[in-house]
Amino acid sequence: MARLGFFTDTTVCIGCKACEVACKEWNQLPDDGLLFTGMSYDNTGDLGASTWRHVSFVERPVPLSGQETGLGAFSWLLMSDVCKHCKRAGCLEACPTGAILRTEFDSVYVQPDVCNGCGYCVVACPFGVIDRREDDGRAWKCTLCYDRLRGDLEPACAKACPTDSILFGEIDDLREIARDRVERLHRHGVEEAYLYGEDAASQPGTEGLNAFFLLVDRPEVYNLPPEPEVPTKRAGEAWGAAGLAALGLAAAALAAVVAGRER
Amino acid sequence: MSAGSGGDGRHVDPELGTLSGEGSGQRVEQREEAFPTPQPDESGPPGGWRPRRPDSRTSTGADDLPTYYDRPAIKEPVWIWSVPVYFVVGSAAGAFAALGAAARVAGGPELEPLVARCRRLAAAGGALGSVLLVIDLGRPERFLNMLRVLRPTSPMSVGSWTLAAFSGAAAGAALFAGSRSPALRRLGDLLGAAAGLLGPPLAAYPAVLLANTAVPVWIETRRTLPALFVASGASTAASVLEAAGTAATERHTLRPFGLAAKAAVLVAIAAVERDAGRVERVGRALREGVPGDLWRAAKGAAVAGLGLSLLPPGGRAKRVVGAALGVAGALALRFAVVRAGHASARDPRATFARQRRR
Repeated sequence: MARLGFFTDTTVCIGCKACEVACKEWNQLPDDGLLFTGMSYDNTGDLGASTWRHVSFVERPVPLSGQETGLGAFSWLLMSDVCKHCKRAGCLEACPTGAILRTEFDSVYVQPDVCNGCGYCVVACPFGVIDRREDDGRAWKCTLCYDRLRGDLEPACAKACPTDSILFGEIDDLREIARDRVERLHRHGVEEAYLYGEDAASQPGTEGLNAFFLLVDRPEVYNLPPEPEVPTKRAGEAWGAAGLAALGLAAAALAAVVAGRER
Repeated sequence: MSAGSGGDGRHVDPELGTLSGEGSGQRVEQREEAFPTPQPDESGPPGGWRPRRPDSRTSTGADDLPTYYDRPAIKEPVWIWSVPVYFVVGSAAGAFAALGAAARVAGGPELEPLVARCRRLAAAGGALGSVLLVIDLGRPERFLNMLRVLRPTSPMSVGSWTLAAFSGAAAGAALFAGSRSPALRRLGDLLGAAAGLLGPPLAAYPAVLLANTAVPVWIETRRTLPALFVASGASTAASVLEAAGTAATERHTLRPFGLAAKAAVLVAIAAVERDAGRVERVGRALREGVPGDLWRAAKGAAVAGLGLSLLPPGGRAKRVVGAALGVAGALALRFAVVRAGHASARDPRATFARQRRR
């Protein structure tokens, strides 16, 4: 089956939060806090068990190339954050019950009827996407609208986005569109535009994201890690150290017994 | 808009809509307790919900690395107190089993009481450890799903299977130890050997579990944390065994074992600190705040415990104090590591600085 995902072009996002609303509505997600954070217009804060689309608002005292504002040195960065559905997903590789799996659309899906809420996926995600809901007990995250995909529909957020900042489709097509868009932005003087996580070459730690982004500032500014990595990539070192430690314990136990015998 | 059904936070009017979306299966109870609205003067932990000052920007003063309003970049662990307690119990259980099996295989008949005691403690540790892990689950009734698949990439999966096998073997070994039937005693020996082989991996895998996450301080200490956890488990086991009062023959085994374990703990503590401190921002997790205090307490207990062991064998009081120091120190150590993980996850600059090699 086709490998489907998102290309989120933050340069056309208007911060309307239709994606947040559509996601909440389609998935019947419960309210997880109506809080005034004072972080520009971002009153959601971050992704979580009941927030699967989160719009970030960054007010910068630096201008964006190619833009002229009436405020002088100022620019407003807007981005709709989502589960990245990584090609090598930390949550999937950590899940001990097999609740998290790769669907036929190459997305990462948590089966709510299997998850027993161990919470290991929560700390294994390099982007801090998935979370365990306290009063429900299970881990939840964006499903890439698995139910809609099986009905040949596009995900709710992509459908609702009025500017097509959220583009949905086959990853190869999206990559082409994204590269053309970056080229076009560069031609128009927006030199800072670049793609984040579009393939394995640019983000070897996750081997590419099925939901990748076009950004115009450093990833940290959007609360994205600059070099995310699926934790299992370094697991060999930890397992090796554990093996040595285990051997050490066995050797110490035997040595102590043998030494005691000779007294 | 109508008030909707049940006030569970969805406000879905049953006349207009049905609950059928993906997340609609989420239970929502006592929403106000689950997500309390913070008061303006509440001083919560950094990264918690807290109203910001209106002039907040993305870049905050002190460091040159930008963040997004200082919000955490990754999620904190959701585990409760029973998980660090399990780390202590599980590693000690593994050490009991290893020592008991070694004494059975390589020791003479004078070590039989030690073997029996080790088997009982290993079995108790396996059982208690399993309970501690189950009560941490969000859906404890689904604990058997841990054995639904074996996923080698997940240290938690490998560990769950190891714990299950270990607990069964240790229980059988303890059960059949004093059996009148020689065949059952032989079976007990085999199960004891199996538990003895599984013991060291049981003691070591929780460190791999922590290292296999996105938490900066745990990733940075992935090469030294396993040694610390194993050494601490052995040290706890030795302290507990010594406290029970031992015959002279047993002491000839327990004393070198205990001394080696306690010395290894101090070496491992230094190694972990060095690893964590390689990226300054990451090393703060073990130095500052509650985790820093717990880490220093664990160090003090480890030094005191080793000092106590180096003195000539004393009376009951000395043994009990030694055991208390051993267990308290091990608990402080595990809680320090876990709380440091929380602090590390909450600090976005720890994640960013580590990845930018600063």
